[in-house]
Amino acid sequence: MTLESELTLEPYQGPAAEERTAAGPRPSRQPSRGHRHWPISVASVILFIAIWQLSGSLGWVDPLLLPPPSEVFRTATELALSGYRQTPLWQHFLISVARALSAFAAAIAIGIPLGLFMGILPMLNAVLDPFVQFLRPLPKIALIPLVVVWFGIGETSKFFLIFISSFLSIVVGAAASVTGVSQGRIRAVQTLGASRGQIFLYVVLPNALPELFTTVRLSVGIGWTSLIAAEMVAANSGLGWMVINAGTYLRTDVVLLGILLLGLTGYLFDWVLTRLQRRFAPWAGKDA
Amino acid sequence: MSREPRIRLDRVGKWFAAPTVAGKRTDALSDVSFELAPGEFVCLLGPSGCGKSTILNLIAGFEQASTGRVLLDGDPIREPGPDRGMVFQQPMLLPWLSVRENVTLGPRLAGQTPARYLPEAERHLRLVGLHDFADHAPWQLSGGMRQRAALARAWLPNPEILLMDEPFGALDAQTRLSMQELLHDIWRDTGTTILFVTHDVDEALFLADRVLLMSARPAGIRAEIIVPFGRPRDPEELVADTDYGRIKRDILHCVREEAARSLALDPA
Repeated sequence: MTLESELTLEPYQGPAAEERTAAGPRPSRQPSRGHRHWPISVASVILFIAIWQLSGSLGWVDPLLLPPPSEVFRTATELALSGYRQTPLWQHFLISVARALSAFAAAIAIGIPLGLFMGILPMLNAVLDPFVQFLRPLPKIALIPLVVVWFGIGETSKFFLIFISSFLSIVVGAAASVTGVSQGRIRAVQTLGASRGQIFLYVVLPNALPELFTTVRLSVGIGWTSLIAAEMVAANSGLGWMVINAGTYLRTDVVLLGILLLGLTGYLFDWVLTRLQRRFAPWAGKDA
Repeated sequence: MSREPRIRLDRVGKWFAAPTVAGKRTDALSDVSFELAPGEFVCLLGPSGCGKSTILNLIAGFEQASTGRVLLDGDPIREPGPDRGMVFQQPMLLPWLSVRENVTLGPRLAGQTPARYLPEAERHLRLVGLHDFADHAPWQLSGGMRQRAALARAWLPNPEILLMDEPFGALDAQTRLSMQELLHDIWRDTGTTILFVTHDVDEALFLADRVLLMSARPAGIRAEIIVPFGRPRDPEELVADTDYGRIKRDILHCVREEAARSLALDPA
């Protein structure tokens, strides 16, 4: 038979050999769509700023309605040096970030365990879910009168308004994150002798971690949005208060500066959380 | 069989409630009886959807029989346990653990110290050719390598019986063949009792001491074939054996008949 001579081309090197060369460890690559196209994003932003500047310089738009970037920048340096309403700009920025971060921290610390328990205990979920689902879509501004009566006009009411909006969305997300675990993975560790607690620690929790990060990202975004609502409560500092106050004096340049800082800070929060997610849950979406 | 059976299924029936129609039920198994002797390698062969996996799930303890008894060393099986290891069609590794952490999951869940399980774990990793990839994440490996890791993970706790649910079904033909040889070698060295589900006649004839042929749903054991080939087996010599073609033809004939019957049962 000539078939044999054609078949035995190379000496066999064991079952691992062919796979090592053919399909060996693939380099770990994050599928990051945003990364590949970043030059386009940068160009798009630069183009936008240029048109915005031209609209002011060439007199297309009344600078009072839309101050050009150059004027916003001048306002920024002015406020950085002499402050807005007796408070330096960095202090407005820091007080807002401090209010938000403390509320986020509390919302995460209470919301994630509570949500996880709701996800694994149907009884607890049945008890709490109606309240969570009622409060979550409620516009938090509607709560301001009550919050002022309950907590006064100090820092507590501001903390509470940011806390409650991020907390509710964290609870819902955390409860959903533990339900998506595959039966196969649970069965696999059951045949290795895992107890109920071990199944939770080794399978359910790590399986939920990528989704928990996504939940926190969304909730931080929602909490940051309610900063304005929080700082509407008789504040005299903070970026949200600065925007509202400047609006009543038609200082559109300060309003725009506040909006830019609010937006950039929210962007920064999300960027940090995305990095943390990649660092601590690199298996997101990976099957094994 | 003179020795006490390790696993015994005694007139086992299993049905599932139809999820949409109240009161309607689907019969998966009817009157299944067989025994596995210690150290035996048995293949369950039958058309897809005939209830082969249901039998494994009953022995694993994931599901309970509707009628009859499923016994391990004479005691009824109630829940999953480390005395019955399982390899699934998909590797089912945990992507948040490294290959080594996955393979050593059994002893670690049992609370053993690394000093006790690591030497044996390293030996297993070397055995399945994954020693150099022990610190990789499982999703960095190819399908065949993942399934070898799953094999090492199931075997490390030294289970009394290993249940295998079409473990090589998702692999390409070459990888499947080398996996079969690997499994054959480890089984020969350890003497673990193995119940192996497959729909591949060649796979069953290469691996098994005994092949149980299943009928269409509701499934029962239609025939038992004692595989006459000696060990160690060589896949090339096996196909050249004059008995091989005859046995394979007989089995294929039964399997096709049952497949046709199950098609007739499910006109959809």
